[in-house]
Amino acid sequence: MSERLYPGSNQDERTTFAPYSAFDIPADLRELHGRYDVEATARRVRNFRYAEEWMMMIMGGWVATIPEVPVKTGLGKVIWETAKAADEFGKRLPELRCGRKALSQSEAGNDGFASFIQEVSAPERPDQTIEKLAGVFDVLKPHLVELYERHMRETDPISDAPTIDILEDIVRKTRRHIAWGHEVLERLCETEATQQRRRERAQHMRNALIACGGATGDLAPGQA
Amino acid sequence: MRRFIEHTELARDSRFIRQDTAASTALANLPDDVDAVVSAFEKLAPMIEEAVRGTAAEELFETYGPAFSLVTLQEPIRPGEDGTDSRMRQRMHGIFVGEVQALEGAGRSLWDFPDAPWEFKMNMARQCWDEARHVQIYEKLLDHVGGEPGMYPESTFLFECACSDDPALRVAGVNRGLEGLACDVFRDVMKYAAEIGDDKMYQAVDYVLADELTHVRFGSDWVKEFTKDDPDRYKRAQDFRRQVDKQFSFGGARSDNDDAAIPIAMEVRREAGFTEEELDDLKQLSSGGPTKQTLREAARILHERHKAKGAGAAA
Repeated sequence: MSERLYPGSNQDERTTFAPYSAFDIPADLRELHGRYDVEATARRVRNFRYAEEWMMMIMGGWVATIPEVPVKTGLGKVIWETAKAADEFGKRLPELRCGRKALSQSEAGNDGFASFIQEVSAPERPDQTIEKLAGVFDVLKPHLVELYERHMRETDPISDAPTIDILEDIVRKTRRHIAWGHEVLERLCETEATQQRRRERAQHMRNALIACGGATGDLAPGQA
Repeated sequence: MRRFIEHTELARDSRFIRQDTAASTALANLPDDVDAVVSAFEKLAPMIEEAVRGTAAEELFETYGPAFSLVTLQEPIRPGEDGTDSRMRQRMHGIFVGEVQALEGAGRSLWDFPDAPWEFKMNMARQCWDEARHVQIYEKLLDHVGGEPGMYPESTFLFECACSDDPALRVAGVNRGLEGLACDVFRDVMKYAAEIGDDKMYQAVDYVLADELTHVRFGSDWVKEFTKDDPDRYKRAQDFRRQVDKQFSFGGARSDNDDAAIPIAMEVRREAGFTEEELDDLKQLSSGGPTKQTLREAARILHERHKAKGAGAAA
């Protein structure tokens, strides 16, 4: 019985060119190793999740006490996308050897950041929309974008690619949130007095953020 | 920020006029007695008059007196009838402010219950986005029917009645009670839109109804989750929902009667997790209180007295 042959398997059908040369596939130039091992990445992901979850809850609470209807409705999508960010971070945790039930784990970088978060939530009166939004959109969300981008630059680009993939999407949406928040604040702060309120609130919150070392608690002064 | 706020703390911009909730809740507790209804609304007349001053409802009050709210609540909106356009504007406005309160309720649930399960928070966050879109949709539909935000006074009784400090009762009240009412109202609006051939209104409300069904389903699921292995808490949640459903029936305006102004959306509620027993209970709850005949007679008497008072003042 003759052996069945498939196309390309005969001696005279084999290719004669060297592997890859005809297709010119570029080499993978990424390097292994990064600044964060699995444990460090897991801790940072818990920190990220903490910040996103609390922002979601804070903004949800504010909807009822913000009088401007377009701000109420605009926050609706920001709240949902912030929740999805927290959820994505949560789903990453079991993949980083944190246990099957780690989906809702979160951790403040330190007690200082936990206090900072409570300070973000402090404005409550209906006449404090500027203070509410400035804390989140002028300070906390921009800080998180910087933090996420730093993680993407410094972590192992191959081994920790799933975290980078999550962060890329979250950064893109968070930038949109910031743009929306800034547009709203520009509309609300049309007088020098209101602009001053925004500046003062933002500076106060930035100082508090620097003092605690940022969301991960490990940033040196000036890095937050 | 504090946990749990009163309905009086709900913030609005200067377009909105807040109406006392007493008039909105009075119907839920009235007997089927013409004199009792007339007496109750005569006592509320000064409050109602004050609430409608400067709004589109002021003209209605001037014409009908406090009875105007009985008419607008109890009669189905039918194409081609007198006052249909203005009543549709009023209903759209009522839906619009109701959606604002639903958004606020979902948002507060995120802050008020920080220890709730993560999946609950995700559901509430998604509901925030949905309700935010609903506010935007109904603002546009209000414009579509010739209205504008703030043209009618707003009662915050939806938030007041449905929000509880217990998460099990909160979802029973907001998600199953308030959002359930929304399903009933929107099914009826779709029927009206179909009758007049308004595809824009029909399609928009159709999407909103799909969202609201999901929200009611959230409520059905989370009441069970929060009260599992706790029969007493489950009973409290059911009793609270019944209380809310009674109030949200507006004395029979929302019911299973053939001529109800707002028919109960049975199929939607079934899909959203209501049991047959619960639906039967809702039918019974909503059929209590003054009958349509009683309310019509009371409205006639109130109208006549209002006219007589006006004539006397003119003389």
